[in-house]
Amino acid sequence: MALQTAAEIRALIARHKRWDVIFGVIGILCLSIGLLTFATLFVDMLIDGYARLRPEFFTEFPSRRAGQAGILSAWIGTIMVMLVTAAVAVPLGVAAGIYLEEYAPSNWMTHVIEINISNLAGVPSIVYGLLALGLFVYQFGLGQSVATAGLTLALLILPVVIVATREAIRAIPGAIREAAYALGATKWQVVQGHILPYSTGGILTGVIIGMARAIGETAPIITVGALTFIAFLPPSPIKAEPPFISFEWLMSPFTVMPIQIFNWTSRPDPAFQANAAAAGFILVFMTLAMNGLAIWLRYRIRRNIKW
Amino acid sequence: MPHSEHLSKQYDSDLEDIRSRVLQMGGLVESQILAAIECFGTGNYDLMAQVTDTDRRVNSYEVEIDDACTHVIAKRQPAASDLRLIMAVSKIVTDLERTGDEAEKIARMAKNIYDRGRLQIPRSADVRHAGQLAVAMLRRVLDAMARLDAGEAERIIAEDVAIDDEFRGIVRQLVTFVMEDPRTISTVLDIVWIAKAIERIGDHAKNIAEQVIYIVHGTDVRHTAREDHGEPDGAPQ
Amino acid sequence: MADPKPALESLPLKAHAASLNFHYGTFQALKKIDMPIYDKRVTALIGPSGCGKSTFLRCFNRMHDLYPGNRYEGEIRLHPDNVNLLDRAVDPIEVRMRLSMVFQKPNPFPKTIFENIAYGLRVRGLNKRAVLEEKVEEALRGAALWNEVKDRLHEQAFNLSGGQQQRLCIARALATEPEILLFDEPTSALDPIATASIEELIAELKQKVTILIVTHNMQQAARVSDFTAYMYLGELIEFGWTDDIFIKPKNPQTEAYITGRFG
Repeated sequence: MALQTAAEIRALIARHKRWDVIFGVIGILCLSIGLLTFATLFVDMLIDGYARLRPEFFTEFPSRRAGQAGILSAWIGTIMVMLVTAAVAVPLGVAAGIYLEEYAPSNWMTHVIEINISNLAGVPSIVYGLLALGLFVYQFGLGQSVATAGLTLALLILPVVIVATREAIRAIPGAIREAAYALGATKWQVVQGHILPYSTGGILTGVIIGMARAIGETAPIITVGALTFIAFLPPSPIKAEPPFISFEWLMSPFTVMPIQIFNWTSRPDPAFQANAAAAGFILVFMTLAMNGLAIWLRYRIRRNIKW
Repeated sequence: MPHSEHLSKQYDSDLEDIRSRVLQMGGLVESQILAAIECFGTGNYDLMAQVTDTDRRVNSYEVEIDDACTHVIAKRQPAASDLRLIMAVSKIVTDLERTGDEAEKIARMAKNIYDRGRLQIPRSADVRHAGQLAVAMLRRVLDAMARLDAGEAERIIAEDVAIDDEFRGIVRQLVTFVMEDPRTISTVLDIVWIAKAIERIGDHAKNIAEQVIYIVHGTDVRHTAREDHGEPDGAPQ
Repeated sequence: MADPKPALESLPLKAHAASLNFHYGTFQALKKIDMPIYDKRVTALIGPSGCGKSTFLRCFNRMHDLYPGNRYEGEIRLHPDNVNLLDRAVDPIEVRMRLSMVFQKPNPFPKTIFENIAYGLRVRGLNKRAVLEEKVEEALRGAALWNEVKDRLHEQAFNLSGGQQQRLCIARALATEPEILLFDEPTSALDPIATASIEELIAELKQKVTILIVTHNMQQAARVSDFTAYMYLGELIEFGWTDDIFIKPKNPQTEAYITGRFG
């Protein structure tokens, strides 16, 4: 007694499987649209800017003559701003994430804060720029400096870091946490000995993805007043005489990669377009490299963490 | 006590099957004893063969029920009242099987007596009366088992004394009989064996009654003084 | 013939629950539980899912304090010092330092075997390498795991098999020399052979420590415990010697559950 014969069942399966094939094809098409667009853009920039991708491009300041212009001040500015951003956003975001997950009482206040953090991630970046202009530039008197830009971008990625931290902490099984508490650990002992070590991979991934977003931000940086043409470097953080370390660079004017690109693309001389393409290629490459680093770190750290 | 049903219907039917087979076996043994006593009274040789024949069926019941109990233990890990039922049943079937053997013995002795051609059997009525008592006791204990009636089981244990008294009375009277006429000695000895078999049947019935109490209360009343047979504190009613 | 059982009054107590009520928010999960825990004996808690047996177990080390909205009433007294574990004035951390717990699923930390066991000691401020090494070995021997792992103490714990992981968790619980060892269905995630080794271990451990074990597996309760408590809908229905519970329970509800007639 069978509902269907074997032949009927086979025909049925073949019919059902056709949909697998159809969806597979649609999926590949959708995926290719995104990937191809990006690849075209990337290759196009590479072709346009290939001639400019020489070592001098990295060691020259911008110039009126396209052939001699470089991105030295831009990439150093970008790295300095990113350092400030990371130094501010990581401790703040991680601490806030840990507090919300491990310490905060579950009440309406916490819920309001949680919802607002998610909303903050969706605020347009120009708004952060306006906030920073009022707060950091004028109120705190930080001026149009590396510090201001770094703090602005830190604000921008703070929600990303907080959310990433919380997600990473939530991924830790409750049983592991209970095991630690059952041994008589205090909250801080649990955070320090378990929560932080086990969530580092996820937190780092979140931080890097946030930074990769910040590195390309233009609007808020322009708003706080980055220079578009700058032919000097901020003071070096390392000095020959004691105390060897200096923070003067924080207060220095600066420019960053996206602004340099923006500046070049607005020039009428087509030679500058090649510069813009080359710099764009480098910026995309930096972003991809950071994402690659995130993947590698996650892999490295997760190898030793399993439950 | 087997109040409601098991989650497993199969388990229920396994236990029910064991219980009813024990009762069937008991019924068979009962009829076997009745037939044996009839043989003793009438010398019906056909009936004697039938008693022996029945004993084979009783034996195979014993083997089957024991096997079923082993299966339940292996497959169901019975606990509490189920466990007690299984353990008790495996002892009860042994008692029933031995009761069957006693019946066969009675039939064999009866055949000896009639083979010898003695139609005048001393104390025949007394022996048959003791036999009726033993059969009644067996019937009641099987009934008590079917109804899980521990009170009845306790009364049965108390009444075993009556059969023992009958036995001693019969032996005393047979002794005087032999003293009067020593030629009757072989027949009298056979009758003593029959009376002894009846007395043993009473003992087996008593053992079964003890197992019934174990099934119901979980208290082991074997080898204890009569007064201790009471229920454990707070036992469910 | 089984050994005659000593009279309950003559047994030393390790703890006892008195009029214990427990609420999850508005839901009362435990109702007026009175129960003794005898010293150096295994007490099993059985009952259908949701009967409150795990909830009861987790009162002993105040695990419920980790989550909001839980409320205890009544007491669990630990002997001999007669401290009420549920007293608000008693820090749950102190309670957890005195009682250890082994969980349903093996939950080793994603650290090395050594660090897993050393963690409880580190929490107590023991950091001297020599002391840690000695205690770790002692705990691993206690959990019958030493011979299997002595050459790979610094490998990750998750490389062990499920049964070994659970014994590691037992070792972790033993390292801090607890007064009571709480087991919350310790073998429900293990295969029968690993289960047998854990049960064997429990039988050995009771020489040294009082054990309270929650189990879904009635046969396991019958095999490992000296005492069994049957719980239903947050109430303690029957408590007694395991032999008595499994052969002649007094309460018809216990009888129904033990014989599989429940429901």
